[in-house]
Amino acid sequence: MSDKMSSKDLSKKITKEYMDEAFHAHDLGKMVGYTTAVSPVELFVAHDIIPIYPENHAVACLSGRMGTELSLATESMGYTSHLCAYARSDLGYRKTGKTATGGIPDPDLLLACNAQCFTLTKWFQVLARKGNVPMFVWDTPEYIKDKKAREEIIKYCVMQLREMIAWMEEVTKRKFDYDRLKEVMKYSAESSLLYKKFLDMAQYKPSPISIFDALIGMAIAVYRRGTQECVEYYQTLVDECQAKVDRGIGVLKNEKYRLYWENLPVWFKFSDHAKLLGSYGGVILTSLYVHAWSLEFDLDKDPLLAMAEQYASVFSNSTIEDRADMAVDLFKRYDMNGMIMFMNRSCKAVSFAVPSLRDILVKRTGIPALVFESDMGDPRFYSETQIRTRIEAYFETLDRLRL
Amino acid sequence: MWENLDFGQAIEYAADPYASIRAWKNETGKKVVGSTLADVPEEVIYAFDILPVTLLGTHKPLRKAPSLLPDNACSLARSNLELALTYENDLFDGFVLPQVCDTTQHMCDIWRINFPDTYVESILLPRQVDRQSARYWVKEETMRLISSLSQWTGKSITPDDLKRSVAIHNENKRLLSELYQIKRRHPETITNKQLFSLLKLSMQVDKKELNESLKKIRDGLKSHSDGRNHVPVVLTGITCDPLEIFDLFDEIELNVVADTLVTGSRNLQGIVDEDKSDLVEALMERHFRRGFFSPIHDDVFKNVEALKALYKEYSAKAVVYVHIEFCESEEYDVPDLKVAMKKEGIPFHMLVTEYQTLSLSHVRTRLHAFFESLRESGR
Ligand code: SF4
Ligand code: SF4
Repeated sequence: MSDKMSSKDLSKKITKEYMDEAFHAHDLGKMVGYTTAVSPVELFVAHDIIPIYPENHAVACLSGRMGTELSLATESMGYTSHLCAYARSDLGYRKTGKTATGGIPDPDLLLACNAQCFTLTKWFQVLARKGNVPMFVWDTPEYIKDKKAREEIIKYCVMQLREMIAWMEEVTKRKFDYDRLKEVMKYSAESSLLYKKFLDMAQYKPSPISIFDALIGMAIAVYRRGTQECVEYYQTLVDECQAKVDRGIGVLKNEKYRLYWENLPVWFKFSDHAKLLGSYGGVILTSLYVHAWSLEFDLDKDPLLAMAEQYASVFSNSTIEDRADMAVDLFKRYDMNGMIMFMNRSCKAVSFAVPSLRDILVKRTGIPALVFESDMGDPRFYSETQIRTRIEAYFETLDRLRL
Repeated sequence: MWENLDFGQAIEYAADPYASIRAWKNETGKKVVGSTLADVPEEVIYAFDILPVTLLGTHKPLRKAPSLLPDNACSLARSNLELALTYENDLFDGFVLPQVCDTTQHMCDIWRINFPDTYVESILLPRQVDRQSARYWVKEETMRLISSLSQWTGKSITPDDLKRSVAIHNENKRLLSELYQIKRRHPETITNKQLFSLLKLSMQVDKKELNESLKKIRDGLKSHSDGRNHVPVVLTGITCDPLEIFDLFDEIELNVVADTLVTGSRNLQGIVDEDKSDLVEALMERHFRRGFFSPIHDDVFKNVEALKALYKEYSAKAVVYVHIEFCESEEYDVPDLKVAMKKEGIPFHMLVTEYQTLSLSHVRTRLHAFFESLRESGR
């Protein structure tokens, strides 16, 4: 792989090769395993199961403003519009075949991890029934504060990873290779650290990246974790950002407000939001969500233990108090002076924490918060004028506080 | 307090048990611990001489909950939170809260944050029950609960305490199963409303006392006809609330002959093997004898298979599904369930409930229409 390629081209190349392989998996004697964005995918990679993330495909469809159309197709099958927009988009795609990309191959097996949310388990159950496909749930109990309970949670999680290996062996009729897993973990650890370094570029002033760069940049971390090309991609990305930092190039020339974002983005408003906020001198730097893949695997430990420790303690499986600590750490490190908190109707796993999280963060940082409600993928739940007015009012408040 | 109830009083208490729990608490000086659905090993709490109370929502207006849990959270969760924060906030000494879905996972945190001076423990039972590790985990969590309660109360429990508690809970389930069996055969002897009120009340008050009432009620029953005019139905869902829905069932002469409700037969399936020397092990084993619960991962066809079997076994005429609006878990199940029922030729009626805004007249109209057409079609 040429190291002269830009991160953008590299991303395209990696994605194309990955999808080509996935679509030809059976010709290559491989299986396609659906999995969830936060999951011990290293086990799939080490076992030559091609991981496919219906969430990623859904993001592409929602960003392409297909959310309502696909959701309506799903609703016509009797599902409600309350479900996660990813699921609505996915089930709609399966019914209509409509997609913003080339689609995704059907699964041979399914892995759902509830460290991210419980919704995915239910969504994947629908797929399991549809294709009569075997399904494994990696159950990660909430990473509560009690030290002893945490040790037990990790033990239970490791136990299940062993069960998962046995399950994969049974489904694929192949023996699992632990040496290969170690190699995969090495790549995963390395790329995750580089990914974190990339996100942490937002500490610079002006910041060379906004959350929108992070959201584009995170895709490879999600679906190519555990591979060598993933490491190369993030090295390239970090180098590019460092070059910007060295030349003092920021997302905004006059960076006035360094903002925290809570939740996933409104995918179909992605660039609109960047422009709108930019016009007020605001740049969103980060969120807990993009940091979900800033994993720090301890390679000196048994790989299953290292995975369990990282995945079970991800923000979405942490208590609200712990989420607040994680966010406050970001506020300090990135020197942020504003926060936008999105109540995303799609994502209960993140959004139901928002009211309590807002209270804690406002109290601990002294920074006012803008809270707005909408849906990450379905424009029917997005009120343009209302949200615009609230954003304007929020910046007025911030301006007043600066005076 | 609850040892001498007749059907009328049981119905009254089931609709709102909290005043009686408060009076009982004042009288006995014992602690009261609240839980939400489902599967909290209440025998353990009871063994500490504490009254375990399952919170099953309120139909009173929401005041504080909406600012903590948005309106796309299910009304069961929101109204339980309201109940604890507003309406009964002086009643509970502590809470043991299970995490079964995204909503309940957050609820545990919200609860803890809003009750900083109260004992709030999460019980993290497995959200998969199809593998060996789940068995290990139920046992671990049961033991963690025991040690957490010990720490809180400063007391420890002996195997005999647990045995006594298990015996009382088992007796309660056996008595209720007996009454269910009578009602199934003789629906004019026990109405739907009466039976389901007893089932609900059993999850909320002292079972030792209530068992006395159940025995008296059973012994005083006079068998009527064999219910030939009644339409046998199977009920499914998580819970069926308000209890007035059962009045509607009685009004149109439906006979709930079986159910897979979490607050119904699924609870009765939780009998523990009293003869086992290791009762924690026995509590764990019973966890896996219980049937389908939507948010917990298991065989993805389990619910359909269970309903098909019950429909056949009891020669039912329809399956009635009680859906709690915004229960995301159920919302992923319903379409496939409908299709499967249709494929089997099983008439299927869905009732949507909501704790604050449910219109019973709307439910009545739809129920009437469904069963009229069923009767007309001669099924
Ligand atoms: S958006 Fe939220 S609910 Fe939807 S799949 Fe992701 S974590 Fe789960
Ligand atoms: S399982 Fe359904 S009804 Fe129960 S708390 Fe969760 S969303 Fe509400």
